[in-house]
Amino acid sequence: MTRVMRDFTQGELDWQPWLAPVDLDAATDAQRTALKITPSNRTVGAYSLVLAHDPEALEQRSPLYNAIMFGAKGLPRAERELSVVMASRINGCAYCASVHAKRFTELTKAPDVMARIQADGADAPLDPRQKAIVDYAAKLTRDPAAITPADAAPLRAQGLSGLEILDLTHAVAMFAWANRLMQTLGKATTPAREGNPL
Amino acid sequence: MSDGNPDVMDTLAGLADVPGLAALRRQRAEVVKHLQGSDDAIFAPAHHGGLTRPEREAAALRVASLLRDPVLEEHYHRRLVALGEMHPLNGARGECILAHVDRVTMDPADSTKADIDALLGAGLSPHAVVSLSQLIAYVNFQSRLLAGLRMLKGAA
Repeated sequence: MTRVMRDFTQGELDWQPWLAPVDLDAATDAQRTALKITPSNRTVGAYSLVLAHDPEALEQRSPLYNAIMFGAKGLPRAERELSVVMASRINGCAYCASVHAKRFTELTKAPDVMARIQADGADAPLDPRQKAIVDYAAKLTRDPAAITPADAAPLRAQGLSGLEILDLTHAVAMFAWANRLMQTLGKATTPAREGNPL
Repeated sequence: MSDGNPDVMDTLAGLADVPGLAALRRQRAEVVKHLQGSDDAIFAPAHHGGLTRPEREAAALRVASLLRDPVLEEHYHRRLVALGEMHPLNGARGECILAHVDRVTMDPADSTKADIDALLGAGLSPHAVVSLSQLIAYVNFQSRLLAGLRMLKGAA
């Protein structure tokens, strides 16, 4: 089991843009700034080079994403990853779901959790805290208008603080954003290999 | 609120009377800063790249309507009225933009390369295509964050 999961966690997914990426050699100063290009760093993926067509939006979105997914304290990083795996699965973003399933398993060393989610999606048997997080992530992703104050109760019952619930909301919301960019500006190409969670 | 002022999200979520929740948001100062920065970059960029301000507000209004968020709808409707151009998404170009808004909001997994080609064919620049995609995705983000903030506000 561990070997299989390790295999998929190392699986390199690719993303093919549907819009010609910015040519780094022809990039404007604004684009280079947004991409954080320096003489020592020219490693930029196709996804970022597509987003660089609008450098002003990219320059804000990158630090926003990092603050939401990596900000210190608050909701443990693994639980942010758990929530965005669920959001990505519901939105149908195979690329994001795979990348973040891998991160979750790296952080928790608990490959069985993603195996259960792979098998049963939002109905996967999980521990109560993970279940509360996944349920909220699913509902918020599917239909934000359906969220009511009562939806905070299961999260509070599992001990989530106000900051943790805010972090969870930020993460799920960020993937309402990230999934849509990935899915509509290009296509994930997933290698068909054994152990791939998709 | 490093400068002490409510931002767009505070206003939309009605946090003026809920200082505890506004303060909670400030525990994530980088999120607050770059969220407002994103709003500014998406709706009032220095270079619009071919996607006009009225087109942006009208596209955002459509997302808010699809997501059935009356507060967001009112927000974008008011901004559109202020621009004095109520129906910027007319004609083939407008229809193509609206089709993209609808698909990316409701069925993002159904997207194809033909959809991007259609936008380019309707006269949008690559910059405008990316701006439109960022905008649609951003308003989808907004609606989820607003829902969470309202939940916390109501449960407090």
